[in-house]
Amino acid sequence: MIEITNLVKNYGDKKAVRGISFTVNDGEVLGFLGPNGAGKSTTMNIITGFLSSTSGTVKVNGHDILEEPEEAKKCIGYLPELPPLYLDMTVLEYLNFICDLKSVSRKGRKEHLAKIISMVKIVDVADRLIGNLSKGYKQRVGIAQALVGDPDILILDEPTVGLDPNQIIEIRKLIKNLSATKTIIISSHILSEVQAVCDRVVIINKGKVAAIDTITDLSKRLAGSSKLLLSCQGPVKDIVNSLRGIPGVSDTNVRNSDDQVHEIEIIVDGNGGADVRRQIFYNMSKGGWPILEFRSLDPTLEEIFLSITSA
Amino acid sequence: MLAVFKREFLSYFRSPVGYVALALFSFLSGYIFVSLFGSGEVNLAVEINLLTRYFMIIIPIITMGLFSEDKKRGTEVLYYSSPVSLFSVVMGKFLAALSLFAVLFVNVIIHMIITAMYGGVVDINAWGSVIVYFFLAALFIAIGVFASALTDNQIIAAIISFVIILAINLLSYISGMAQSAATTIATSLGSDVDKVNTIGERVAAVINWFDPLEKTKNFLYGIFSVAPLIFCLSFTLVFLFLTYRVLEKKRWSQG
Repeated sequence: MIEITNLVKNYGDKKAVRGISFTVNDGEVLGFLGPNGAGKSTTMNIITGFLSSTSGTVKVNGHDILEEPEEAKKCIGYLPELPPLYLDMTVLEYLNFICDLKSVSRKGRKEHLAKIISMVKIVDVADRLIGNLSKGYKQRVGIAQALVGDPDILILDEPTVGLDPNQIIEIRKLIKNLSATKTIIISSHILSEVQAVCDRVVIINKGKVAAIDTITDLSKRLAGSSKLLLSCQGPVKDIVNSLRGIPGVSDTNVRNSDDQVHEIEIIVDGNGGADVRRQIFYNMSKGGWPILEFRSLDPTLEEIFLSITSA
Repeated sequence: MLAVFKREFLSYFRSPVGYVALALFSFLSGYIFVSLFGSGEVNLAVEINLLTRYFMIIIPIITMGLFSEDKKRGTEVLYYSSPVSLFSVVMGKFLAALSLFAVLFVNVIIHMIITAMYGGVVDINAWGSVIVYFFLAALFIAIGVFASALTDNQIIAAIISFVIILAINLLSYISGMAQSAATTIATSLGSDVDKVNTIGERVAAVINWFDPLEKTKNFLYGIFSVAPLIFCLSFTLVFLFLTYRVLEKKRWSQG
């Protein structure tokens, strides 16, 4: 568990972080979003002990990062934006060095490293010099070093940067698997990635927390009401009238219409939280109007992000 | 500390740095030894003492990348975010460089063996020089480690340590010049001759007090004392502590 309270970081006159507070619960995967220069990396660096805060506290599993740094750091595996790799070492030499640095016991170390190496799929390059590896493999070695010592908490700054689409999917799967046993904070600019793996997101902007919630709740809050898109066939006037008669539907908007197919945006009153989808189906069925497509039009994470950070 | 020591020491031999230092030292010590051998009178104390004069070239080479490379590559984050103390990182790197110096010293040991084989004497003066060699190496390496922590540019780090070590090597000349300057100033102010000489001597004494070469020179004649060694050790620790403070400060102010 990570508890961040009133975190402030100033660089001279520049206030990089202005009183950030949030908690990351055990076993949670938290997405950390924000535009460039919002204070994401600074906050992550403070959590890992790389930087010291101007004021405020960070507690990692109950250990204050300033008062009990070694205890707090034992709980964290950190992958910074630029993986901290020694290019003159082989992958195995490097991971052994990280084991030494994190005081991982020699007993069982071989098995521990074998497990990590297989998990991040770097078995075939384990004996190669890191300097000769591709960017994708270097990134994986970076993730591997964060996993050394089996820390409870993983902090991953842009973990899929430089990876090809297949590797991105693999790393996402890996993060999903790790989330069963670990608390994870992920910073990423790829919002679909955050959407795919995170339970909650923290959006920070100009050094402050702009929003913190689940993606679903954020989108509901942002939209005020939710929207559905219905693509169907039939007399458009009758369909619209029928839809407007359903309790919970506050408005409709015909987006696209030709003789055969109509695209209708249905605005559902958010306050009641009513699920009008069944009734829409029954009404369409009763009228004999075939449904060609029916989907939610809730804002995407991109739209939420843009709305919050440009506000 | 052991992890950092092991990595840094082995890294000397994963890159050209260790080999360059070894080649340079072997060439210099070999050249001096052969010259002495050719003259028919081998004095190992002289060889070792001459070698300490080349520390200003060898030490910047082996210390320039210790911290500056970490900063440049972004690997310093490992030391700040791992459960190790920053001072143990400083000590690990310092001991790695000092160990490389011990490896370089194998050259001199070979010369000692050759000298003994040819009926020469490895006397107390030579052993005194060995002690001075390691204490001065420790002090100058600590200066090199400190210089490396100041910048992310290896060349600048090398220049800083070269300038400091050169200045230390020139302290006896500097004290002589300062003595003359102080005497001249005092004379022009109308002080009497005795007073003028005293002022000049005092200025020179203050500067000489900081000169580790001056302090340890008696070792080369087989006269041992603890004070010069404590002096070197104290300043070694001062520079290592300053390195630690520079690294700590970065954590508080880094942008």
